[in-house]
Formats: sequence, structure tokens, C-alpha cells
Amino acid sequence: MAGLIAGLAALGLWELLSRAGTLNPLYFPPPTVVGITLVARATGGDLAPHAAATLARLSLAFGAAALVGVPLGLAMGMIRPLRLVLDPYIAALYPLPKIALLPLLMILLGVGEQAFVLAGSLTALFQIILNTYGGVTQIDPVLLEVGHNYGARGLALFRRILLPAALPSILTGLRLGLGLALITTIAVEFTAAKSGLGHLVFRAWQTLAAAEMFAALAVVGVIGLAITRGLLCLQRRLLAWQQTYEWD
Amino acid sequence: MLMRRALGWATPILSLVGLLAVWEWAVGARILRESFFPPPSGIWQQATMLYASGGLAGHVAATVARLVAAFLLAALPGVAVGLLTGLSATAREAFDPFVAFIYPIPSLLYLPLAALVLGPGELPAALVCAVTPFFVIALNTALGVRSIDRPTVEAAVHYGATGRRLFQKVLLPGALPYVLVGFRVGLGLTLIVLIAVEMVSAKQGLGALLWQSWEILRVRNMYVGLALIATLGVLVTSGFDAIARRLVPWHQGPARSTRRP
Amino acid sequence: MKVVVEGLALTFRTAAGDVHALQDVSLSVGPGEFVCVLGPSGCGKSSLLRVLAGLIEPSRGSVRITREKDAERPLTAMVFQDHALLPWRNVFDNVVFGPENRGVPKSERLRLGEEVLAKVGLTGFEKAYPHQLSGGMKQRVGIARALANDPAVLLMDEPLAALDAQSRLLMQEELMRIWGTFGKTVIYVTHSIEEAILLGERVVLLTARPGRVKATFGVDLPRPRTLGARAESEFIRLEAEIWSLLRDEVLASDRGQTGITR
Repeated sequence: MAGLIAGLAALGLWELLSRAGTLNPLYFPPPTVVGITLVARATGGDLAPHAAATLARLSLAFGAAALVGVPLGLAMGMIRPLRLVLDPYIAALYPLPKIALLPLLMILLGVGEQAFVLAGSLTALFQIILNTYGGVTQIDPVLLEVGHNYGARGLALFRRILLPAALPSILTGLRLGLGLALITTIAVEFTAAKSGLGHLVFRAWQTLAAAEMFAALAVVGVIGLAITRGLLCLQRRLLAWQQTYEWD
Repeated sequence: MLMRRALGWATPILSLVGLLAVWEWAVGARILRESFFPPPSGIWQQATMLYASGGLAGHVAATVARLVAAFLLAALPGVAVGLLTGLSATAREAFDPFVAFIYPIPSLLYLPLAALVLGPGELPAALVCAVTPFFVIALNTALGVRSIDRPTVEAAVHYGATGRRLFQKVLLPGALPYVLVGFRVGLGLTLIVLIAVEMVSAKQGLGALLWQSWEILRVRNMYVGLALIATLGVLVTSGFDAIARRLVPWHQGPARSTRRP
Repeated sequence: MKVVVEGLALTFRTAAGDVHALQDVSLSVGPGEFVCVLGPSGCGKSSLLRVLAGLIEPSRGSVRITREKDAERPLTAMVFQDHALLPWRNVFDNVVFGPENRGVPKSERLRLGEEVLAKVGLTGFEKAYPHQLSGGMKQRVGIARALANDPAVLLMDEPLAALDAQSRLLMQEELMRIWGTFGKTVIYVTHSIEEAILLGERVVLLTARPGRVKATFGVDLPRPRTLGARAESEFIRLEAEIWSLLRDEVLASDRGQTGITR
């Protein structure tokens, strides 16, 4: 509640200072003007298609990363030789900002959606793999003993012990991966793509259309917030059995 | 057992060396197209050439300097705000709207605004790179302060630690593991945004090198840039882990994690 | 004999060298007998249980457990020190974990689970998650899980060590009652002399690492026992006798345990 009031107060102050000219309205148009632009662009203009483009890229990138990353992470967690072979690549490529791969991807795949989506997807992929296999290797060994002593073998051991025990870490990986994929996707749009909210901000910069830029920023903010908060809620629901959730 | 341990460190090395060898061979055998996948030896040659002609060191230096500057811009206020919001509920409530409004937006998108307001130069780039890590560090620090358990603080007060001493001897070391997580994750995020910023708006730096190589389709230069960025990433994280182990030997947990809040 | 352990030795290979956890342990347990294994911390008593449970392969020696009923029945079920309940399963699903893995039909599991939960006094808590329970209740669930699996031998690894003193007393009484109704063969590891005498028909004393059988004591106290048994002269005599032998082992174990060399 106090936060809401503080937020509204900040917006009010911005409005006043911008109207008074203390803040240059060319760079900081009053929030009311941004609001009107936002509504006009969202209903009649191209804000919606750009937002849709960003969301489509993000969901493709994230979906592919999750489909590959979770099984691969689980396999790496369970099969030591696989882990030993793949570990150096993960260690070398995880810290590499995947946006740096964009030029190479555009050369290999052409300037198009494949390269754009893949850059975002790779960002999420490494995070998901790391958290998934970390989740498997850090399972409390006594839970595995319980599984063995109470007759859970093979698939049953996987389904009834390994997977649920690693689930908190997997979900964290998915959440962080999605956040990182958003960062890379926006960067891809800002630098190379000709559509999407990132591109919209870039275009507004080139044409000095500050109101349009703030409108696009607001939409990105809502998406970002929805993603992190939404996944956090989902994580809490799926992990209702956990006592205190460790919010890393 | 010994065998198993030997395999434990030999396999990763063999795996890497093996891939490079297969790559080299596949280019020679014309399975991989050299124009897209220049052989590792060719990339190495190109790197030494770029270094000899004097360009490469400048790119590396520019990126490292910006990384350090942006990280300091994020870390110092980040720790201060984190300590404040961790200790005081009022400060936390005042900080919350900023977290809600500014933090969820990928900070690269603040570049236009920063460039318009501050004009050309290094400051807007460094500031933009510092936004997200600032929040990550502040949030982790606050979490660290709140994670110090009450009995520890009570014991410290009971044994005469107050004011400055309490802060120096109890609160700071208590929050340190979390502060370090914030630093580590923050550094990674700084590097992501920095490379993107350099790609769109810099003449010098590894991101700029990548983008210029793309514009004139110099694939070998691109691989050199990528290899250097990857090396920088590995050095930053592993170097950081080594420092973290030194600083918090009593804590084996979150300081070495790879997560981000 | 229900359980026959002969010449058991266990050695762990670690980076710092070999650690001899157990050396030449021999032990027999009759059907329906309650045997307590007592020893200083780190003497390998938990490892002994894990070998019996088939979780660790012994380096030498043999373990033979006879099962007299059908072959479907598991040889052992372990009650773990920190209860080791599966945190993502509610009380009921934790209890029927073993039967579920053995493919016991659902209706049968339902009946079995309710029956065992009633015996340990947890009826009404079926849907609760482990984190919602007190320490004592969690360990009741752990015991119920083991009973529901109907093993030939029940293995208990310091099941009450994590409880506070009062809950511990209550659970000791509870264990005596439960054992009275089920009459299982039990091997019970503990580091409390009092607990060993109170619960066991026989107390096996292990030495400091490497664990060997130092002495065996028959507990000649009538059953069913209550906490009142602690006041009996036989109890006090036995407690003093065991402590005089255990004391040396605890001291030896302390010296060997710190791992800090000057």
C-alpha cells in the first residue's frame, strides 16, 4: 500500500516537473501524455503487433530451451560420464552473453527469426540445464536410500524420488531462464530485428519519439513483471509441500 | 577409486581437446565449410594477427574498463541500499516501487534515455549496464541482512557489540555470503548488457568488434571476439568464486550458486 | 536364527586414505527379538544397519536374513535418524510408499495405511505434509512407513536422536507399545544406554572405530516394560556395567574423531 502511494507520488512529481519544464518534456513527457500515447498506440497503432512479436519469440525460445534443457539436465545429473563430457562446454558457454552469438547465428542461419529465437533460446537453455542437473546432483542422499530400501527401482525411483526432489531447482531454473531469455530477446530486437518491443524502443530513439518510447517501456515492464511474478506464484503452488521456500 | 578420480578431471579436458581436434579435422576434410566454421588454428592465427596490428588489446581493454566501472557503479550503491532496506522496513517500502517499475525492464532499453539525457560518452553506457546489477545486489544484500538469525545478533549485543562495531563485526559478515551472490550474478548480468550496448553504440570493445565483423562479414574476427568474451566470462566467474571462497570460508552455500533473483 | 551376520568388515576409501568402519562383526538375532546396538558416535553402527539394509556392500563377511513368509515381503525396512520422510508426499502417501513400489493394489494400500496409522496414533493426519508435523509425529510416520512395508526385520537408526527429551520419553513408551502389538524382529541402533536397556532384550556394545562387538548383555527385565523399569535395581546395575565399558570407547572415539592434528 505504501509502495503504491510512493509510486503514484513519483508519477505525480514527474508530471508536475515535466509540465513546468524542469524536466525536459522532449525526453521526459508527462506520464499523462505517455498514457494517452499508450492507449492510442495499443488500440489503433502498431504496439500490439510488436508486443505479439516479442511474446512469440520469447515463448518459442523458452519452450525449446525447456524441452531440451530439462531432459538434458536430468540426464547429466544421473549419468556421470555424460556430465564429465558436457561440463566443460557448459562452464565455458554459461557465462558467455548469448547476445554475442547473434552475429554468428545471423551468418549461419540468415538474418531472420531462426537466428533471433535461437539467441534467446540458448540463453535460457544453459540456465535450465545448470539448475536441473544441480537439482539432481544435490539431492539429499538419504532420500535415495529411502527409495532403495523401500523398493523403488528404475522408473519408479526416477518418478517418485529423483524428479520431485529436483523439482524446486528445475522450476527455479525455468524461472531464471525465462527472465534471461527476455533480456536477450529484447537485445536481439534492439540490435537486429525489425519488429518487437525492443525494436520499437530503438526506433523511438532514432526518431526522438519519447512518449512512444515510454509507452513501449511500460509494456515491456508489464511483461517482465508478469513473467517473474507469475512463475513465482506457479512455483509456490507446485511446491506447496515445501515449508520455507528459499527465494534464492 | 583412483581411476574414477583420474577420469573425473581427465574427461573434461579430453572432451574439449577432442572437439577442437574434430573441428580442425572436419574443416580440413571439407565436412564443415571454412567460411562459416574456420578451423581453431585459423582462429588462433587471426587472433595473433589482430593482436599484432594493435587493435585487439584496445577492444579487450575497453570492455574490461567498462565492466569494472559499471560493476562499481552497481555494487557500491547496491550494497548501501541493500543494507538500508534490509534493516529498515520504511526504507524497503520506499524502495519497492523502484523495484517494481524499473527492475523488470531489461536495462538495455534505458540506453536511449541515458544517451539523450547525458549526451555522448562513456557514462550513459556504464550507467545502463549498472541498472539491473544494482537491483540484484541491493535485493540480495537486503536478503542477507534479514537472514542473519536473531540469536546471533542478540549474542553480539549481549557481549557488547553496538553501533559501528555491531555493523562491522556482525551485520556485514553475516550478510556477506548473500552480497557475494549478488555480486556474482550482477557481474554476469553486467557483461550481458555491456556486450549488447557495445554492439549498438560503441567503436571500441569486444561487442563492437563483433558487430563490426558482422557488418563486413569477417567471420574469423567474430570467432576471435566470441572466444575472448567467453574467456572473459569464465575468468570473471571463476576468479570471483576463488575470491568468494577466500572471503567466506565458513559458508559453502549460496556464494557459489549460479542463480539470480 | 532370523539374522546371521558373520565376520563383517567395512572399509571406506577416501581421499585421506582408508577408513575402517567395521571389523569382524558377528551377530545373530532370533525371530521376534529386539536387539539394541550401542556404541560411541562414529563407531560404524549406522553403517552396520546400512549393510543389513543392503544399501552398502560389505568389504568382507556375510549377512543372511531369513524370511519365513512369501517372497514378496521385503527383507528390511529402515527407520532413519532424521525421519527422512519424502517432503513432497503427505503422511498417508509416505506410509504406503513401500507397498506402492511393490505394486500392492490401491484398495489394499488404503486399508493397510489406515490400519498402520491407527496403530501409531496418527489417524486424522493423513493429508498433512511432513513440514506441518512435530518432530515426534514425523518419526511416528517414519515408523509407520516401515511397519506398513511388513519387513522380515525392522532396522532403526537412532530414530529418537533428533527429538527433545520429553518427546523422546513419550516415543520410547510408544515404541514399547507398538513392538508389543507387532512383535517384529528389530535391530535398533542408539547411543543412549538408557534407551538400549529400556527397549532391548539384548544390548550389543560396539567399540570405537573400527567397530567390533565388545560385549553383549541380556536384559533380564519383564515385558511389557514401562518407563518405571528405569528404577529397577537390575536396570541400574546394567546401566553402570555398560557405562564402565562404554566410557573407554567414548574417550577413544573422541580422540580419533576431531580430525584436527597438531
